[in-house]
Amino acid sequence: MHINTAQKLRKDKNAQAGIIIIILLLIFAIAVPIFTKAPDVFSEKILARPDCENLLGTNDIGQDIFSRLIYGLRTSLLVSVSTGLISTAISVVIGVLAGFKGGLLDIIFMRFIDAFLVLPVILVLIFVSVFIKPGIINLIILISLFQWQGTARIIRGQTLALKEKTHIYAAATFGSKKSYLLVRHIIPDLGHIIVVSFIYNARAAVFMEAGMAFIGVSNPSTISLGKIMHDAFKFYYLPAWVWWLLPAGLLLSMLLVSLTFLGNLMEKIIDPRLQNA
Amino acid sequence: MLKVKNLRTSYGKNEILKGLDFEVSKEDIVAVIGESGTGKTTLALAIMGLLRYQQDNVKISGEIVFNGIDLSRLKEDELKKIRWSKISIVFQNVDNILNPVIPVFKQIKEILNSNDGTSIINDMLEKMDFPVSRAYAYPYQLSMGEKQKVMLAMAYILNPEFVILDEPTSALDFESKNNLIKIIKELSSQKAVLLATHDLDTAQNISNKTVVLYGGNIIESGSTKDVFTNPRHPYTRGLIRSYPSETRTKDLQGIKGNPGFTDNGCCFWPRCTQAIQICKEEKPLLTESNGRKIACHRYGIIPLVSVSRIKKTYENRSILKSISFDVYEGETLTILGRSGSGKTTLAKIIMGLIKPDDGEICLENMKVTCWDSAFYKKVQMIFQDTRAALSHRLNILESVTEPLLIQKCKSNEEMVDAAKQVLSEVGLPGSDDFLYSYPHHLSGGELQRVVIARALILSPRVLIADEPTSALDPSIQAKVLKLLNQIQEQRGLGMLFITHDLGVARKVSDRVMEINNGILKEKILR
Repeated sequence: MHINTAQKLRKDKNAQAGIIIIILLLIFAIAVPIFTKAPDVFSEKILARPDCENLLGTNDIGQDIFSRLIYGLRTSLLVSVSTGLISTAISVVIGVLAGFKGGLLDIIFMRFIDAFLVLPVILVLIFVSVFIKPGIINLIILISLFQWQGTARIIRGQTLALKEKTHIYAAATFGSKKSYLLVRHIIPDLGHIIVVSFIYNARAAVFMEAGMAFIGVSNPSTISLGKIMHDAFKFYYLPAWVWWLLPAGLLLSMLLVSLTFLGNLMEKIIDPRLQNA
Repeated sequence: MLKVKNLRTSYGKNEILKGLDFEVSKEDIVAVIGESGTGKTTLALAIMGLLRYQQDNVKISGEIVFNGIDLSRLKEDELKKIRWSKISIVFQNVDNILNPVIPVFKQIKEILNSNDGTSIINDMLEKMDFPVSRAYAYPYQLSMGEKQKVMLAMAYILNPEFVILDEPTSALDFESKNNLIKIIKELSSQKAVLLATHDLDTAQNISNKTVVLYGGNIIESGSTKDVFTNPRHPYTRGLIRSYPSETRTKDLQGIKGNPGFTDNGCCFWPRCTQAIQICKEEKPLLTESNGRKIACHRYGIIPLVSVSRIKKTYENRSILKSISFDVYEGETLTILGRSGSGKTTLAKIIMGLIKPDDGEICLENMKVTCWDSAFYKKVQMIFQDTRAALSHRLNILESVTEPLLIQKCKSNEEMVDAAKQVLSEVGLPGSDDFLYSYPHHLSGGELQRVVIARALILSPRVLIADEPTSALDPSIQAKVLKLLNQIQEQRGLGMLFITHDLGVARKVSDRVMEINNGILKEKILR
């Protein structure tokens, strides 16, 4: 009757695939650069086809595309995980507090969120990026600040419903403090929503970062999958897109799919009712 | 007519009566009730001066004053003059008392001590509704009811002033018993009677005063009506609850533990569900208030929760209009009402989950101002929707031990032991498989028991059960209701039982109050 995570994992093929892809991507992003060339090194080979020396050929200024892809993946992973964590944390704190405390605090938080939600995020990000140096850290902070409002609203709604649940009343009648109710019941009960929010935020962050880099709003020295696609897109009429544009797109998709599978597994672990689902 | 002062009797070192004080006036019928072995027959024999015939090492002290004469100081010759003529007795075991080889007529005549008593005996037998044609029968030819009538005839034939009846109806069927009760009532007018019995129906029908005896001590006395309708000592209540009277609707409940009398402190404390430290150390004195005498350090059954003038309005609709009631220790008070009548709102107000518009709640006579962990340690609630009352994320062990975790009163090992103990109390296994299962693995009946176990783990004094069986099938419902009854008997819980089901209310309640249009009224179930 125990919830056996390993056993659950053995049964869930999607989750296995997700974990394997995530591990491979992590190894790819962390370990492989040791053996590859530096991504900024120029060579005389321009727009070369893949060969033994350059596994995915070279770009228009003679840089190794494979090396740049791996460094780009690092950036995407860093941005997605960091932004996912930060924005989800903010949305949990704001959403749970607004829903649980209610009253004036709820009204203030909700109006603040409404104000943010009507802003065209991508345009605001572009304008803000014009004034600040769009480095990785700034980008993570910026995306996080514009990412949490939607999920905070969902979490607030769920908290409002949860705090009226009988098992929360029951826990209150054992003499628990409000902090206990929040930490032991409400936040864990929101677990699957938090996980989904994290995935949603991480995925949106990857897209947003890639999108901004793709339209050129990024630090030119930062290598990211979006930046690679931005550079490759200029030469779409050449056969180079096959080893330049396509691998970057595939890598981005794999990252998102694996995150989704992992999220589904976590949801099942958190909610024992989904054990046989 | 008869005054008993500090009467003590003992067989060797075994003290049976431990200082009894009571009196029987003319025309009084005093019932002495109690379990077997509490000293009823010893008292009867002591008054008759017959104890010395029981055993050699009998010691009697104190006074038994009959019409100004202390019977305990009279010699046998003097006693013989009083016995049967002034004080008579109907003994308990009629088969042992009547001589099997002498016709009953002759046995009655022996007492009359007259050569020509035939007409008197016949008159008496007629009064007894005993066929005169059978007067010359031998005891073995008579039924138990007839033998009992012969014993009564012997006791009343000399028209004594004081009659002792020792279990006069204990071996009789329902019809014979009622017949005999009628006869006793007729014969006992203008007489003083001491009725020693464990048959509460007889006591209630015949007597006008009742003395409750436990362990050789009087623990409660008063008018029979008061004692039976509103018992104040936990023992008296337990005794009445154990008796299957004709009007009783609640399942029978015994008194926890076995009679084992202690000389330290109150004689009842090992079985008492509201005993405190002083009960174990000091013997309570029999004190009088409002015409009732009671020997209890807590002045009788204590009110655990008192609700006064509770009002609640939702959207201009008055749900509760000045609701007041008390829940006493060890009793089940049922709040009966249709759906939406405000029963659950009332329960939530008591639990501090909803604020009332007005009114106050007292716990053990102290006004509740803050619903803190100390309050919840004493008051627990079983919620209506059992499945919703358990977190689906927590396994059974985590769910059951959650109250202890919150109260921080036990180590991890102690919590597991406590969980196993309460689960076993509610009839659930304490195996690892069960402890680590989740609510969705269990049936409705099992979940209900888990919820009850969780409510019991803090050993609360009051349990509020909000429709605890509404979602269960009749078979499981019966089991759960029996379980609650049993737990109440063992722990002396005060239970506020909320239901819309009149049948369930009948089976579980000591008292029923009906809530209608926000007003609570006492309801008599018959």
